[in-house]
Amino acid sequence: MASESLLLPALPVPARRWARSSALVAAGLAATAILLVEIPARPQALPLLLHWAPYLLRAFLLNILISLTAVGLGSLGGLAVAVARLLPVWPLRWLAGAFVAVFRNAPLLALVFAASFALPYQIRLGATELPFPDWMKVTVALALPASAQIAEILRGAIQSIPTAQWEAASAFGFSRIQAMRWIILPQCLRRTLPPWMNLYSTITMGTSLASLAGVEDLLHAATNASQAVHRTDFTIAVFPAVLLCFFLYCHPIDRLTRRLERHLTLQPRDQTP
Amino acid sequence: MITSVLTQFVALARSAGLNFGFLIESYERGVWLHGIVVTLELSGLAAIASLAAGLALALAATSPRRWLSGAARALIGLTRNTPTLVQLYCAFLVLNSLINDAIGGAQHNPLTPFAWVLIVIAIHIGAFHAESLRAGLEAVPKPTLEAAAALGFGPRPTLLLIRLPLALRTALPSLTNNMINLIKLTSIGSAIAVGEVTYASIMIWSQHDNVVELMILILALFSGLNMLVDRLGRRIETWLGTPGYGL
Repeated sequence: MASESLLLPALPVPARRWARSSALVAAGLAATAILLVEIPARPQALPLLLHWAPYLLRAFLLNILISLTAVGLGSLGGLAVAVARLLPVWPLRWLAGAFVAVFRNAPLLALVFAASFALPYQIRLGATELPFPDWMKVTVALALPASAQIAEILRGAIQSIPTAQWEAASAFGFSRIQAMRWIILPQCLRRTLPPWMNLYSTITMGTSLASLAGVEDLLHAATNASQAVHRTDFTIAVFPAVLLCFFLYCHPIDRLTRRLERHLTLQPRDQTP
Repeated sequence: MITSVLTQFVALARSAGLNFGFLIESYERGVWLHGIVVTLELSGLAAIASLAAGLALALAATSPRRWLSGAARALIGLTRNTPTLVQLYCAFLVLNSLINDAIGGAQHNPLTPFAWVLIVIAIHIGAFHAESLRAGLEAVPKPTLEAAAALGFGPRPTLLLIRLPLALRTALPSLTNNMINLIKLTSIGSAIAVGEVTYASIMIWSQHDNVVELMILILALFSGLNMLVDRLGRRIETWLGTPGYGL
């Protein structure tokens, strides 16, 4: 009895958290359901949606591929730009700063259109000609602002490490580069994880713009399907289904990001011995 | 005077291998300048509407009424975690056609593509505003609220006269950031043929194949606009700054 009553107070927090997350997912489903209200009158839309589901989900895999590639490229590029901004060579520093300023301000859609119009459809590498399909162009268009954003995130993280740590490192005989590699960056990376995940989520949502550049992504597939079926009830069902796909993929990332953020702020930040 | 300057600029750019020829063709220049006007209109109206939506959502999300706060949080979560373009399709291709069916034909529908882009952007950015404002509302220290109660402020005056003004100050930097995203977001209007500057540019570069030239102009335009908003945000921050409170 006593142990039970002791256990009870521990429950509410995870229970409330669970309730909130399930409420959000339920809301996503409900919003879709509201739009599906028209269907009971014409019940063929749901079987049709199931019929098209494999095609749509295969197209969604392309969205995920684009987002992973773009964020991968963007992370490498962002690291390079962030390092360039710290180097004591002013032209490099200036160029890196301009790169960040320009691509943080650019609308994603304009970049996607520009990349799909301006980039070549194949690349000549010596004698061989490699194809450069539309989805890769979109990936480049998304990787550019991603790298600018990551450079900015890294800069913020590096600046958040107290100067005392640099000084302590040099007192221990670390060179600047060694201090960066072994002391500053490991701490930064932990701090950059939540904004990095946020960025991944944003880029994933940005991949839907690929449909406007002719890439066969989920949204494009949904448009194709709705034109092929050519029924109002199917159109009304398919676009909310696309919305739901993105929600089910991005919402868990958002929740994980928030949990990590809370976790990181709860921990003592700068433990200087 | 202006035309001669433009002609000189176009000639200079051409010698550098850049084709800005559309700037001296009055029709194409007109289309492009109109695009800028539409972008500005859309940004301005959406900014106001997003603030209203954000305020309403923030107040609803922090409301003690469970159903209201649950619904508001769900809407915020749904909006933040889905692509704006898909939301626009859901609004324009689904809701709009339902409305058309309900009122008997598209010719009676007062909602233009421009209106739909405005609504979608306002709600999307409004959800982000709401998150910032909610954080601000929750950051107001409890003793401040207790002091207000002790001075005889009821729940509503406390909210409107004390909690909200303080929350607004805390939220300002992130509101400015959201506004910059809002301006960038207006370019999705081109997906449903709203003639803003990206759409106008596509019209021109598909004729003249001068993508790089137009991209330079678009990037300059948006950088300028965003810088302006950033400056304005900072000015409002210093103007509203409360001595001894956070800032």
